[in-house]
Amino acid sequence: MKQSRTTRRRLAVAILITFALVAVFVVRLVDIQVVRAAELNAASSDKRAVASVDPAPRGTIVDTNGIVLADSVTRYDITASPRYAKPFTRKNADGTVTDVSVQQAVSEISALTKASPNAMLLALTTDPTSDFTYLVKGVDTPTFRSIRDLGIPWVYPRAKPHRTYPAGSVAGNLVGFVGTDGPQNGLEFTQDRCLASTDGASTYERGADGVRIPGSTVTTIQAVPGGTLKLTIDSDLQWFVQQAIAEQANAIGAESAMAGVVRVSDGHLMALADYPSVDPNNVSSSSTAFFGSRAFSYMFEPGSIMKGITASMLIDQRAASPTTQVTVPEIWRTPDGARIRDATFHAPMHWTLTGVLEQSSNVGMSMLGTRLPASVRYDYLRKYGFGEATPIHFQGEAGGILAKDWNTQQNYDTTYGQGVSVTFAQMLSAYQGVANGGNRLPLALVEGCTGPDGTVTEAPSTQGTQVVSQKAAQTTVKMLESVVTGGWLSSQLSIPGYQIAAKTGTAQVARPTGGYGNDYIVSVTGIAPADNPQYVVIVTYVKPHIMKTSAAAAPTFHKIMAQVLKTYRVPPSIKAAPGYPTTW
Amino acid sequence: MSALATARVAPARAPQSSPSRHIEIVPSRTQRKARPRAVYALVTVAGLFAILVAQLLLSIVVSDGAYQISGLQQQQRELSRDTQSITEELQVLNSPQHLAANAVALGMVSSSSMAYLRLSDGVVLGAPVAARASDGITFAADGGALIPNELLTGVAIVTPAAAQQTGQDVGAPGTITPTGSIPSTPVGLPSPVTR
Repeated sequence: MKQSRTTRRRLAVAILITFALVAVFVVRLVDIQVVRAAELNAASSDKRAVASVDPAPRGTIVDTNGIVLADSVTRYDITASPRYAKPFTRKNADGTVTDVSVQQAVSEISALTKASPNAMLLALTTDPTSDFTYLVKGVDTPTFRSIRDLGIPWVYPRAKPHRTYPAGSVAGNLVGFVGTDGPQNGLEFTQDRCLASTDGASTYERGADGVRIPGSTVTTIQAVPGGTLKLTIDSDLQWFVQQAIAEQANAIGAESAMAGVVRVSDGHLMALADYPSVDPNNVSSSSTAFFGSRAFSYMFEPGSIMKGITASMLIDQRAASPTTQVTVPEIWRTPDGARIRDATFHAPMHWTLTGVLEQSSNVGMSMLGTRLPASVRYDYLRKYGFGEATPIHFQGEAGGILAKDWNTQQNYDTTYGQGVSVTFAQMLSAYQGVANGGNRLPLALVEGCTGPDGTVTEAPSTQGTQVVSQKAAQTTVKMLESVVTGGWLSSQLSIPGYQIAAKTGTAQVARPTGGYGNDYIVSVTGIAPADNPQYVVIVTYVKPHIMKTSAAAAPTFHKIMAQVLKTYRVPPSIKAAPGYPTTW
Repeated sequence: MSALATARVAPARAPQSSPSRHIEIVPSRTQRKARPRAVYALVTVAGLFAILVAQLLLSIVVSDGAYQISGLQQQQRELSRDTQSITEELQVLNSPQHLAANAVALGMVSSSSMAYLRLSDGVVLGAPVAARASDGITFAADGGALIPNELLTGVAIVTPAAAQQTGQDVGAPGTITPTGSIPSTPVGLPSPVTR
């Protein structure tokens, strides 16, 4: 019995020890697996895993035909470690070895990149203990490959994203540019939400020779490339328009110029040119004043091109018809004390409304225009889109100045486009409304943004505003035909085979100090074909100093409109309908 | 096998539970014969080895694949660099400024005159006017394009002589071979073939 008790005690001790040991192990296990799990995992993963960045490219900007206007490419910064910058031996292809000194290595890089060897040597010797310095920034792929093939052990090329604009300043001021600190201008800036990409991150484990161990890749952040931004701009036409206004702006000594082409059926801007315009590849060569689009930001009094708009209101309200007769003196002193004057001297004339438009008479338009109360005309101007920014909301876009209350002089001036300040884009939009049967559609510059998953966002609204009746709009277009058939610029504006409706404008530019100076803004706006409107073209030159009348804009208008009709294969007008009488 | 083992072991425990009696079931001849033999052990061990070898071979194949993947990824990287740099070059050559400058260099002008021939009755719509030599584009005072493109710096403009020489190879404009032109019917007006 005694022996049996000893056995039991021994057994109990053994069991106790076993439990104690198990308890110790459990405590240790919980400590490692639960309490310090994160810390230990991180430490171990640091030893085994390599973090890598999966770069995702920024989205491209393309024109309406898919031609790339802004693209993301890879450039390489050539960096070096001054600490290890020492002579090395190079194995040649034929098996021989050569000793390469630091100077020699630097001059080899210099020969490939045209960078200064002295600057590179300075970078290498300034802080010999440093482990990092730039030698050359932003070399392209062929140069990067040549440098890599030099086999310099202390040189490390680093890839970096770079933005390139293959068409240069064609739509350069619309596309904008990306600086070192990210998108800075134009659509690159305002549409950054569409274009921006998210770089991915992943870790993997690698073997002693640097090869990735299969199945060890862990993606922590999924790479998301940027979306594709499609513009309504046609880059070939855009170039043509920019070239045309640049040639003429130089010839007439204009400070700047704007021209635009709008497709009537949907309000899409096929071209919107500014001169001068920035080359996004070489931003520093342009003045900052021309970085953006002055078609959106520059406010001006449009002058006589507004008369077509006023005429459409008169027709819509039945306050006048194309044949309404009016006797027009050269200077008109109104009963309420305003004074209106025509641009050229003439005896009192018997003109119809059509004749007033053809001869671009300020007096005639004031007499007829003020048949409508100021508040009615104000409401029409608002519905035509004046006084507020277009739905494009381009960077720095102005809303124009359209006062709600007009003084006596302004009451008359607004009928022929003085006393009201507009942007070029607003003018295009208003004439799109006239051309589209009175239905003004939202002006569009962006067709849409196609995300990496194929979804399209940013599609422009197609909700139009019926400003004037279809009949009134068509009548207005027909009246404006007489400017081309009978006006003083008839020979320059007409395009054989097509009926064109147009209106010229020579507006005085207000001085910052008040009053008007000797500077003008000359414009031609036009719609073609007048019998079936498809395109609106407006050309505007700001402050030309050699030729100061709308005759300066007429040849460019002709050139651009002809190119538009040719490019888009617009069928010629079939019949030449007789115009309205202009005199009585 | 476990059934047999139980059969074997169970009787052996019997004497412990009741030491006074000893009864044992004598295995029959077939049961004795059915006892495990060396061949089973051999099969098991061989199986284990086979599994180990297979696993080893598999991991060799997988790591060989890793090298292949690594090599192919490197190749893919180089090829995508190629694609990118060629695309970049093409886009620049494709820019309107470059095409226009080339067209001018080859003596071409742009004409704003246009006319259409209506096939149904042969009527000419519009008024065709011959282009003048002065209709070409003009350049800036320094000879550069009015609509500049920094990327075109150093990109050569084709010359008429070069176009003649290399036209066959590169398909430069101005050297359209007769077979490349639009075929026309010998009699009457050309009519488009539509389906």
